[in-house]
Amino acid sequence: MNKNGADAASKVRDTIYRATVALDDEKWNDWLGLCDESFHYAITAFSPEINKDMIYLQGSRKEMETLVSHLPKHNTDHSWLRRHTSVYTVDVEDDKATAVSSFVVYMNVLDGFNSHIEAGESRLFLTGKYYDTFKLDNGEAKFVKREVKIDNRRLDKGSHWPI
Amino acid sequence: MPARNHSQWTAEPPLQQGEWVDSRIYSDQEIFEEENEKLFKHIWVPVCHESELPNAYDFRTTSIAREPIIIVRGADNEVRAFLNVCPHRGMMIERRPSGSFLEGQPSGNPKRMTCMFHAWQFDMKGNCVYVAREQEGYQDRLCKENVGLRRLRCEVKFGGFVWVNLDDSPKVSLEEWAGPAFECLRETLDAEPLEVFHYHKAIVNTNYKLWHDTNSEFYHDFMHYHNRVTGFNDAYFARKNEAFDNGHVVVGTFTVNYENYEGFESRAELSFPHLPPNQWYMIDLFPGFNFNLRGSALRCDTVTPLGPNQVLIEFRGLGLKRDTPEERMTRINHHNSIWGPFGRNLHEDLVGVVGQGATMAPKSEPRRILHGRQENQTIHDENGMRHYYEEWGRWINRSPTNPTQPYTPRAGAAGDAAVAAAE
Ligand code: FES
Ligand SMILES: [Fe+2]
Repeated sequence: MNKNGADAASKVRDTIYRATVALDDEKWNDWLGLCDESFHYAITAFSPEINKDMIYLQGSRKEMETLVSHLPKHNTDHSWLRRHTSVYTVDVEDDKATAVSSFVVYMNVLDGFNSHIEAGESRLFLTGKYYDTFKLDNGEAKFVKREVKIDNRRLDKGSHWPI
Repeated sequence: MPARNHSQWTAEPPLQQGEWVDSRIYSDQEIFEEENEKLFKHIWVPVCHESELPNAYDFRTTSIAREPIIIVRGADNEVRAFLNVCPHRGMMIERRPSGSFLEGQPSGNPKRMTCMFHAWQFDMKGNCVYVAREQEGYQDRLCKENVGLRRLRCEVKFGGFVWVNLDDSPKVSLEEWAGPAFECLRETLDAEPLEVFHYHKAIVNTNYKLWHDTNSEFYHDFMHYHNRVTGFNDAYFARKNEAFDNGHVVVGTFTVNYENYEGFESRAELSFPHLPPNQWYMIDLFPGFNFNLRGSALRCDTVTPLGPNQVLIEFRGLGLKRDTPEERMTRINHHNSIWGPFGRNLHEDLVGVVGQGATMAPKSEPRRILHGRQENQTIHDENGMRHYYEEWGRWINRSPTNPTQPYTPRAGAAGDAAVAAAE
C-alpha cells in the first residue's frame, strides 16, 4: 500500500474507533457527525431457526437522527452499553473504503433485574461484526454505510439504542 | 390515601373477587409444575410456522413443558410432530433448531432421522427403519416395529401455524379451541400463504402470565410514547375487548395514525388481504400465545415457561409469501420499528414485565395484583385478564385470588364470553 493508502486506512480506523467512543458515551449526534448525508444504518442477523437473513433495525441518516432525538420520550433500560471494537481489515479504493471490524458489546448493568443486586456488573450483551463503507474526502473518512451484523437471536430486553 | 402500614398494605382491596389475583400464582414452584402437568400438556400450542419447513424432509425442533419435540415435513408434504426422544436410550434425536434430513448424517442415511448415539434410524412418519445389528442383539425379542417414535397431535391451521398438542385426546379439537377467537382474522390469514421473516427470542425473569397480561391489556399504552401519539383518540378508546370460550380474548380494531410519530408512515399500501388500511387486531390465546396484526405485518408471540419466574418468549414476524423484495422490506421495517428487538415498543414491554418479575420473585411476600378496571369492556377495561384468570383457575383448580384454595366460579364469570358476544 502506498503512503496515501496507508494514511487513508488509518483515517478509516480512526473514524471507526471514534464512533465506538461516541456510541459508548451516548453522544448520538457526535456519532452521526462521523456519517455522510447518504449514511444508511442496519442491524442484521441470520436466523438458523427460520433460515433467513433478517434486518432487526434500519434507517437512513435522517431516520437515525429522528430515532435518537426521540429517545428521551421512551422508557429505556438505563444500563450502559460498552463496545470493544477491533478493526480487522481496511480496503481502500480511490475515494472509497470498506472495513470489517469485530465487536463485543458488554452491558454494564444499572437497572438489571433488581439494581440493588445487579447494578455494577458487566455482562456480555452482543457479539458481531461491523461491515462499514466510507467516503474519503479531504483527508476525512465518513461512514456511508454501516451493517451491524450480530450473532445473537436471543436478545432478552433488546435495546432502543444504535449499536 | 396516604402511604399504608403493613396491615393496610396487605388488606383486601375494595374490589370484587376476581378483580385481583394473588402474586403467588406468578412465583410458586408448585403452581408452575401444576401448570405444566395440567395445562401445557393438554392445550394446543402454536410451535412454529409452516414456512419454517418449506420443503420435504425439512425439520424444526421445539419443546413443550420440558418435552423435546421435532416437527418434520414428509415426502408427502404432510407436517408431523414427534417427541424428539430416541426410544433406545433417550438421546435427543435432532439437536439443531432446524435443517433438512435430505443430507445424510455422520451416523445415518439421507431421508432419515438418525439418532447419532447408536445409529437407530426413523422415517418421516416416525417408523423405526433401522436398528444397528438388530438380530444379533435382540434376536426376536424386540424389533423395529416395537420402537417407533412417539407421534403427537399436529395440525397446520389459522394462517399456516403448526399446532401441537401433547395430549392424544385433547378436551376439544383445535377448531373448537381457537376457531371462534380467530374468526375476525380467519379470512385475512387464510387468503394466501404467509411467510415468516422475523425471529428472535427473549428469556426473562418473569412469569409467563405477566407477559400474556401485557399483550392483552392496553392500559399500559401509557408507557409507550409511540402508542400514545399514534393511538389515543376516540376510536382507540372505543375498541372492545371481547372474551371467548377457553380463556381467549380478542381486542377489536381501529385505525392507527402512524404519521403522528415522526418518521413513521401509513401502512395502507401493504394491508393484509380483506382488511381496511391501518387496522390493528389482537388475538390473545389462552394461556400464552398472541397474534397481533398491525395492518401490514403479523406478529406472533409464543411462551415457553421455564420456571415460576422465568419464561422463554419467541417472537415471529410474518408477511405474505408472494411479497416482492420491496414489499417485504417495507413489512420488515413496519414490524421491526415497533416490535423488533431494537424497536420502539418491545423493549418497553420487556422492561415492564422484568420489573414485575423482580417484585414477585419466589418466596417474596404475596401481593395483590389488580385488574379491576371496568369500562364497558373497552380498551382499558381489564375484563380480558379477568376472563383469562377465570379459565386459569378452572384448569389448575386453584383460586387465582387465593391459590391455596380450590377454584370456585367467580360470580358472573360464566357470562364473560356470552356478554361480549351479545354486544
Ligand atoms: S440412544 Fe438413540 S440409538 Fe441409542
Ligand atoms: Fe406494549
